Amino acid sequence: MTAIQATGLSKSFPRLFGEPQPALRALTLSIPRGSAFGLIGPNGAGKTTFIKLLLGVARPSGGEVQVLGSTPEDRAVRARIGYLPERLHLPDAWTPLQFLASVARLKNVPVEPPLLERVGLGEATHRKIGGFSKGMRQRLGLAIALLGKPELLILDEPTDGIDPLGRVEVRRILLEEKARGATVLLNSHLLAETERVCDRVGILHLGRLVREGTLQSLTAQREGWVVKFTGGGDPAACGFVPHADRWTFDRPDVEALNAALGKAREGGAWVTEVLPRAFDLEDVLAEATR
Amino acid sequence: MRITLHVARDLLREALARNWVLGLLVGITLVLTVLGLFLRLDVVDGAIAGSKLFGAMLFDDIVSTDKAMRPVYMVAAGIGFFGGAMFLAVACSDFAPSLLSPGRIEHLLSLPVSRWQLLLGTYLGVLALSALCTAYGALGITLVFGFKTGFWTTALLGGSLLGVAGFCALYAAMLTSAFFVRSAAASSAVGLLVRVMGILASARAPIEETLEPGLGRTLFHYGVQPFPRLWKLAEQCIRLAGDENFNPGLTARLVAGSLIFSLGMLAIAAWRFEKKDF
Repeated sequence: MTAIQATGLSKSFPRLFGEPQPALRALTLSIPRGSAFGLIGPNGAGKTTFIKLLLGVARPSGGEVQVLGSTPEDRAVRARIGYLPERLHLPDAWTPLQFLASVARLKNVPVEPPLLERVGLGEATHRKIGGFSKGMRQRLGLAIALLGKPELLILDEPTDGIDPLGRVEVRRILLEEKARGATVLLNSHLLAETERVCDRVGILHLGRLVREGTLQSLTAQREGWVVKFTGGGDPAACGFVPHADRWTFDRPDVEALNAALGKAREGGAWVTEVLPRAFDLEDVLAEATR
Repeated sequence: MRITLHVARDLLREALARNWVLGLLVGITLVLTVLGLFLRLDVVDGAIAGSKLFGAMLFDDIVSTDKAMRPVYMVAAGIGFFGGAMFLAVACSDFAPSLLSPGRIEHLLSLPVSRWQLLLGTYLGVLALSALCTAYGALGITLVFGFKTGFWTTALLGGSLLGVAGFCALYAAMLTSAFFVRSAAASSAVGLLVRVMGILASARAPIEETLEPGLGRTLFHYGVQPFPRLWKLAEQCIRLAGDENFNPGLTARLVAGSLIFSLGMLAIAAWRFEKKDF
C-alpha cells in the first residue's frame, strides 16, 4: 500500500523569455503507507515543487501523481492530508483557537483544542496570533496540520524557528503520529532531524531524485575511513579524497586502507589520525549532490 | 455552499479587524454620534421649524418633515454610493492579494476546498461587508432622524443597499485583477477605472455626440459598452432614498447590467484561478 506514488513526474515553470524552467524532472517515487519519509536536497532542488504537486497547488507538466490512492484534485483525499507550509500565513488578529476552528470547519472535522496543548500552546490559546514568536507560529501551524488525525502529514520545515527543546517536542509528536499509522513526509534542512524521524530518505538535486532508500541502506553502503596527514606527499594519488581538514578513504576493508597508508607514507606523508568513518546523511547528501 | 459561506464568514471576521474597515466603521459611528448629540431639530406639528448643529443655526424656515428629510437622505445615499464605495474599495483592495499570498494560498488549497469556493467566498464576504457597512450607516441615519423628527422611512436603507449592486461590479473587477497582478494598489486602480468607465458608460450617448465619427467614436462606443452604468444606478439609488421619481424598470435593468458584468468578471477570475500554479 503506497501513500504517495509519483511516476515520471515533471514540472516546468514558463518564463517570459526563453525555455521553461524545469523544477522537477521525471521523478518516480513510491512512499509506503505508515512510513516517515524525509525529502532532502539543496535549495532549488525541487522539494517544495514536489510537495505542491502532491497537494494540487501546482499541476504537473508531465507524469502523474497519486496520493492516498487518488489524485490531488480529489477533495476527499485532501481532507485526509495535514499540511504545514514553510511559511504559513496566519491571521494576526485572531486567536489560535479561532484559527483552529476556522480550519476545522473547512476540513469538516471537529475542533480539537487539546491539539494546542499538544504542541505547547496551551497557555496561549486566547492570545492574539499577532504577538506570537516565529516558533509559536510554527507550533500553531503544526497543530493545524494535525487537525482531524490525517492519514498523511506533509511538513515543510516544521521546526524552523523552534528552539532546541521545542524541536525535541516536535520530533516526539511526529514519532507519535507515525506510531498512530500516519505517513509522514518531512522536508527539512535539519538533517539530524530527518535522521531521527524518518526511516526512508530521498535526495533531490536539480529536480531529479538522485538517491532514495532506507536510512540504513543509504549510509551503510558508504563505510570508510577518515585520515589526517601532516607533511608532504600526495595522498590523493593513493586513493584518499581531500576535504577541508581531513582525507577520506571510501573502501571499508582494512587491508586496502593499510596499503594506501603505506603508499602515502612512502610519498612523504605522516599519518596523525585514523578513524572509522561514521557516514551520516550529511555525507550522503554531499556526495549525491557533488 | 457551506464551505463558501465559511470562507465568506472568515473573511468578514478578518476584515473587521483591519484598520481601514475599523476606520470606516468608526467614521460612520462618529457622524452618527455628532448628528445624534449635537444636531437639534425643532419639530412642530410634523414640520421642522428650525435646526441647529453645535448650537449654530442651520436654517429656520418651516418645512414639513418629509420634505426636509428628502434632500438629507438623497445626499446621504449619494455620499454612500460614491464616497463609501470608494473608501470600501480601497479598504478591501488587499483581501484578494492577501488570499493569494505565499504561505496562505498553498495552505487553503491543501484543504478540501475548491478554488471556485475560495473565489466565491471571498467575493461574497466582501459584498456582505459592504452591505453591513451600508446598512449600519443608513440605518443609523434613519434612526437618528427618525427619533428627532418622528418621520420614519426605509427609503434611505433601500436606496443605500441598492448601491451595493454597483459595488458588486466594482469588486468583481478588483478581485479578477488580483489573479493577474497580485497587488492591492493595482486592485484599487482597477476599482477606480471601473468607476470611471461606469460613469462614462452612463453618459455614452451624449459623449459620443461630441466625438467625430470614426475610429475614436467606435472605440469609445464599444469600449464603454461592457461596463455597468454606475452613474445612472447612483441616480436611482439617490431617487429611491429621497422617494422621488424612482424608476423600478430602469433600476432592474441597471442592476441586471451590473450583475452580468460581475458574473463575467468572476468567470474570468475562476478561469485564471483554475489554471494558476502557486
